[in-house]
Amino acid sequence: MAYRHFEFVEKHVWLLGILTAVMVSLGGLAEVLPLFVEARSVKPPENVKPYDPLRLAGRDVYVREGCYLCHSQMIRTLRFETQRYGRFSTAEESAYDRPFQWGSKRTGPDLARVGGKYSDDWQRKHLLAPQALVPESNMPAYPWLASAAIDGNDIAARMRTLRKLGDPYTDADIAGAAAAVEGRTELDALVAYLQGLGIANEPQPVRTSALAPSADGRQP
Amino acid sequence: MTGAWSWWIVGLIVFNLGLTFFLFLWAPRAKVPVLPDGTTGHVWAHGVIREGMHRLPAWWIAVSLAMYIAAFAYFILYPGFGDREGTLRWTSAKEHAEATAANAQRLDPVLARLAAKDVDAVGGDAQARRLGERLFVDNCAACHGREGRGNPLVGAPDLADGVWLHGGSAKDITASIRDGRTGVMPPWSALGNTAVKELAQYVLSLSGRPHQGTAAALGAATFKANCVACHGADGKGNPQLGAPNLTDDVWLWGGTQAAIETTIRDGRQGHMPAWSPRLSDADIHILAGYVHHLPQRGALAAR
Repeated sequence: MAYRHFEFVEKHVWLLGILTAVMVSLGGLAEVLPLFVEARSVKPPENVKPYDPLRLAGRDVYVREGCYLCHSQMIRTLRFETQRYGRFSTAEESAYDRPFQWGSKRTGPDLARVGGKYSDDWQRKHLLAPQALVPESNMPAYPWLASAAIDGNDIAARMRTLRKLGDPYTDADIAGAAAAVEGRTELDALVAYLQGLGIANEPQPVRTSALAPSADGRQP
Repeated sequence: MTGAWSWWIVGLIVFNLGLTFFLFLWAPRAKVPVLPDGTTGHVWAHGVIREGMHRLPAWWIAVSLAMYIAAFAYFILYPGFGDREGTLRWTSAKEHAEATAANAQRLDPVLARLAAKDVDAVGGDAQARRLGERLFVDNCAACHGREGRGNPLVGAPDLADGVWLHGGSAKDITASIRDGRTGVMPPWSALGNTAVKELAQYVLSLSGRPHQGTAAALGAATFKANCVACHGADGKGNPQLGAPNLTDDVWLWGGTQAAIETTIRDGRQGHMPAWSPRLSDADIHILAGYVHHLPQRGALAAR
């Protein structure tokens, strides 16, 4: 190869652009593409069901309000994370999340195992006025959730869509969706979703210790 | 990771490192045509900007080469070259397990030492209190506040005032943390608005708060008929049921007339979650010691 070949590339901007794109994409082709294609091999844990209608509605509120911008749902394999939040997260736990809510920023704490940590009442009041409970918090308030109704037919339609994507909803599940969210607000839904995190997407309750988790973060 | 994807990644790595290797060999020897003025002849802006010709500095080549060699070292030691494990057999789970074990080695003797003490003694132990504070701030402060002074908004009791809803013994505190507590005050709206207001006046009178005497006297009869089963004939409560003492002027849900009326009318079902198994028994032991010690700290702060 001689210098003129390189000169040819340098002087033809489209060719330069294409070759640059090829080189830049090597990392993604190696690190992202295989996992992206293999994602279908991630199966939900046994006995874990897809979101019930209320929690599904809550999950969509969570996404809509951008909770993932400040809260992760991804406990990393680091000792000080499993000590604080519990057993580290696995891909299976998010099998029914489309898209997953791992997040990449923690302005607030991780929520992967927040279910049951606080009372329903605390969660409701905290969402409506965070500083009333945690004075030093910089979380915004979400007062409109308390008066926003959930459209049951809309939830049923979402469940049908998810069934097309492979979530094992039965006809009875979908037929019962409207009744399940009847009269409930978005606040109810979001609290139900939060209270299920780390519980309803787990095969069984997992014992963890804040001070002394065992090797894999589980309590012996 | 299936075999095909493993080879896909190997192929990409070989391509990338191979191309870089070629550049290392070729670039230093490349013959670049240079004009007599020392430039390559590439010009911009009608010759105002011309491309000079200089060899790469030696330090730059040295650093690049070092990084190139580091890439090989990485692929030998760590996983990454397809599904090859790497000679260190590193996994994130293993690193986590080692870090946890190392931490346990330092922490376990402390936990063992504290487990042998009873809750009162744990509260008096400075090291235990440091551990307890960490646990408290992370788990309990959301309701009880960082200083443990409680929050009437969710009916979280003040833990530093020495008044205990469910009993203040070491055993009671440990049980509260381990199993949680749920308030069971039913709504009394069926008594009617007038009766609720009278009852509130009577409750205010019990702790010597400003109240209307006649309404309170009427409320006393209603109290006797409906409330004494839990709160007792004298209104001093019952820690067995978690029924608060109404005479001590300590208020779980607020002591204003309006708050008391709401409490009577709508009932209160404050809920403290069970902390087992989220926290281990050792954690709960330390936390109980910390909480048990809080009133003493509160007394010190008040002085």
